[in-house]
Amino acid sequence: MWISWPDILKADGARTSADRYDRGAVAATLSSGSPPRFAHQSEAELARILDFYRIEWRYEPDTFPLSWNAAGAVVESFSPDFYLPEVDLYLELTTLKQSLVRRKNRKLRWLRQLYPENRVKMFYARDFQALMFKYGRLDFLADVAAMNGNGPLNDALGGED
Amino acid sequence: MEMSTAIRSAMDDDVEEILLTHEQIQTRVAELGAELAADYADREPVLVSVLKGSIIFLADLVRAMPVHVSLDLMELSSYGASTQSSGQVRILKDLSGPIRGRDVVVVEDIIDTGLTLNYLLKYLNDRGPSSVRICCLLDKPARRLAEIDISYRGFTIPDRFVIGYGLDYDERYRNLPYIGVLRPSVYGASPPEG
Repeated sequence: MWISWPDILKADGARTSADRYDRGAVAATLSSGSPPRFAHQSEAELARILDFYRIEWRYEPDTFPLSWNAAGAVVESFSPDFYLPEVDLYLELTTLKQSLVRRKNRKLRWLRQLYPENRVKMFYARDFQALMFKYGRLDFLADVAAMNGNGPLNDALGGED
Repeated sequence: MEMSTAIRSAMDDDVEEILLTHEQIQTRVAELGAELAADYADREPVLVSVLKGSIIFLADLVRAMPVHVSLDLMELSSYGASTQSSGQVRILKDLSGPIRGRDVVVVEDIIDTGLTLNYLLKYLNDRGPSSVRICCLLDKPARRLAEIDISYRGFTIPDRFVIGYGLDYDERYRNLPYIGVLRPSVYGASPPEG
């Protein structure tokens, strides 16, 4: 069922290493191997938060094929951004506006249907905003919102932990 | 008296909606206290709370428990305030006494992502308690990242920004007697998208 990265990239649209983000200097990390380069700075920020609270994570460790053509080649797949082994949870982070996440939601539904043994959680823009709000990282949030063309904070903010 | 009324009114104006009234909270806290008292009747548990949000809940809860208990308080650094220092969560105030062999009940005001509590549970379990259980007033599961086994739960609440009864926004509103939803205009938010 597993397929190689080159196949996935061909099927899903390749991402280059340019314009990727790292999570900056941290005191230590529970995640082994070389620090990954993140596709979006919100992912790097979430990695910093997980490091802070000593939650082990892996960045895009697995790719799940979702659909195949008649020849059996994978034509669509999904690689959740994070896997948290300690809690056995895949986490997909999106900072897109709610109205633009339909495609991701569809992929998530397929993934849950095809791989019901895996727990996958979508962290939407509003969830990330709430997290940044909680930690007083409004400057960071403003940067991310500007990059995405999103507006300011909406009212979906959550309380402290 | 006049001043007190004026301050209360100003705070109330910032509340969009009352989620849980003072009476609802008191009723549920009394139930939780009775449940804990029955479960820990002869065990003299240590109730551990995390500053600052939990102190009002702890104060009411412990008075609803007609059994012997010990109290202890901890304070942890928060991510936003600490990213320039160690890069990892730190204990700002540790336990005052040992918990080895004791039954511990962690008393929390709200559980959201569960990240802080997940760290705290590991820290407490490393100190050899006989047992550790969780009592929280508010469970907000929408953004849960670390699964937490909650033994005593006051209320499950929706994904809203709540204040009052110990919960703050920018250190304000902790002294509201109820749990309310903060008006978005207070924190400069725009109206929700249609």
